[in-house]
Amino acid sequence: MRPLRFALAQGLLLNEALAALRAIGVDVSGVTPGGRRLVVDGGDIELVLARPSDIATYVERGAADLAIVGKDVLLESGARVMELVDLGFGACRFVVAAPPGALERSLDEYRHLGTLEVATKYPNVAERHFRARDIAVEIVKVAGSAEVAPLVGLADWIVDLVATGNTLRANGLAVVEEIASSTARLVANPAAYHLRRREIAPVVERLAAWAAAR
Amino acid sequence: MNQQSPIGPPRGFRDILPTEARELGVIEQTLAETFADSGFTPLHPPLLEYGAADSAKRRRMQFLDSDGSLVALRPDLTTSVARLVGGRYGDMTGVLRLSYVAPVFREEPAMSGGSREILQAGVELVGGEGALADAEILALLVESLERCGLPVCESTVQVGNIRLVRGLFAGIPEAARVEVVDALRQGEIAGALSRTREAGMPLDELERASRALTGGAGGIDGAEAAELCRVIELARERWPGRLERWGVPNPALVPALPYYTGIVFEAIHPDAGVIASGGRYDLLIGAFGTPRPAIGFAIDVLQLHRALFADAWRPRSQRPLLLLRASADERATMRCAAALRAGGMAVALGDVAERAGRAVIEAEVIDERRVKLADGRVAEARALGAEIDS
Repeated sequence: MRPLRFALAQGLLLNEALAALRAIGVDVSGVTPGGRRLVVDGGDIELVLARPSDIATYVERGAADLAIVGKDVLLESGARVMELVDLGFGACRFVVAAPPGALERSLDEYRHLGTLEVATKYPNVAERHFRARDIAVEIVKVAGSAEVAPLVGLADWIVDLVATGNTLRANGLAVVEEIASSTARLVANPAAYHLRRREIAPVVERLAAWAAAR
Repeated sequence: MNQQSPIGPPRGFRDILPTEARELGVIEQTLAETFADSGFTPLHPPLLEYGAADSAKRRRMQFLDSDGSLVALRPDLTTSVARLVGGRYGDMTGVLRLSYVAPVFREEPAMSGGSREILQAGVELVGGEGALADAEILALLVESLERCGLPVCESTVQVGNIRLVRGLFAGIPEAARVEVVDALRQGEIAGALSRTREAGMPLDELERASRALTGGAGGIDGAEAAELCRVIELARERWPGRLERWGVPNPALVPALPYYTGIVFEAIHPDAGVIASGGRYDLLIGAFGTPRPAIGFAIDVLQLHRALFADAWRPRSQRPLLLLRASADERATMRCAAALRAGGMAVALGDVAERAGRAVIEAEVIDERRVKLADGRVAEARALGAEIDS
């Protein structure tokens, strides 16, 4: 059997994920953030670097057994993986945001036109949220910088992921509503989790202890 | 717009070509025989069932029938069998042993590589109760996999119990417990544990639940563990004196399907993932008629094939096919083929381009009683079958 394969999200979470793994004794010296080698031998564990949004796919399809990935990615992808430990770092929130003065206007528009336009990079999260609230919306998917959409008239509201809220404020937007909060999670492929419990359990236990001690 | 009609089938569906179809045929036949040897009778529920507007069941492939009713391609067979038993066998109190080999359909997001057509082979034991019925079905799953040629090692079969999982969270209010078990069905162990903490579960109990769900082997203790082990040990008695052990108690096994009420189990292969799953569902039939205890499993035949293929399995060899080159005398050719068939040969007139992995021998018609083989030897048509067998 191949060694346990551990996928790590490149980007904001990478440094803290590496610190967590280092703290539980995984050899991560071969990983260089921003480097070109994407598959790294870490002793008993093979480390794979991938884009955050691909991590869920890797784990769901069993290409990786374990991963550290943000809950935000899991919520958007809907991937069927097992969430084992809430690691606590990388905190951020999905929010609905709009220009402060525009709220009354857009509600008026909603009464007239029966629908609102919502720009977002996270169409699944946005759609699920508004469906649950029984608000009719048109989702406009953008690949980046949703916060510009209300300024240029692309959409009335946005759904975006915020950590500090600075970007929203800089673009004259205010949080209307919080949808969900997110932190980094240790996830596993369900089949691998059951089949390779003996190898995975110590990783889970140590990371849970590490997260609890923080 | 592309005016040409597409060559491939819709996403999530695929053509199964002759080589694979032949291998699948061998597996299906082996499974059907194994089920029949334990007294299970095949039945055929319909491809379509009524759909539901329920958005939580979004994995159904649903559409509108011509009369406007919402119909769904059946997403699993256990529910169809439960409906059939509840409706048709409402008055019968005896035990039913039913089996099926049939496709089911589940919606998958686009571009996820997921298959929307799944071929299932399974059994449902309706009216069977207690550890003996649990053990019989668990052992039948192992027997089915082994007879197909899959080596079953210790960790291949994982056994859990939904009652045991509920028991771990007995200390918290009912509403919170439902949420916790729902979270576990989605695989959210971290979420379930934090919900439990919020619901005010004492630390030592929380510790115990956490150990059971995320700890290594031996993460559970006490009566529940003993109950799980007892069923596994009882099932192992299907092969008295067998040395290799199989079956691992695993309290973290909580299948996504909501209808299980007791023992649950999965067969897992390192390359193919989950190849079979099953369990006890004592409340499902009650939704369609008189409640009956029931237990069953379904094998994902395509995943089983994938697992066998990864283990370098090939189907048991059939007798080779004789490709008979015709002579100018067509009547003699037909008669020669008849003589070969009478002698037990499988004969195709002319050539077969797609041989699907089947061995062939070639021969040429000499007259209505004799053929010339590829190596130049002349053989009696009627005797060739016996000659090849020996």
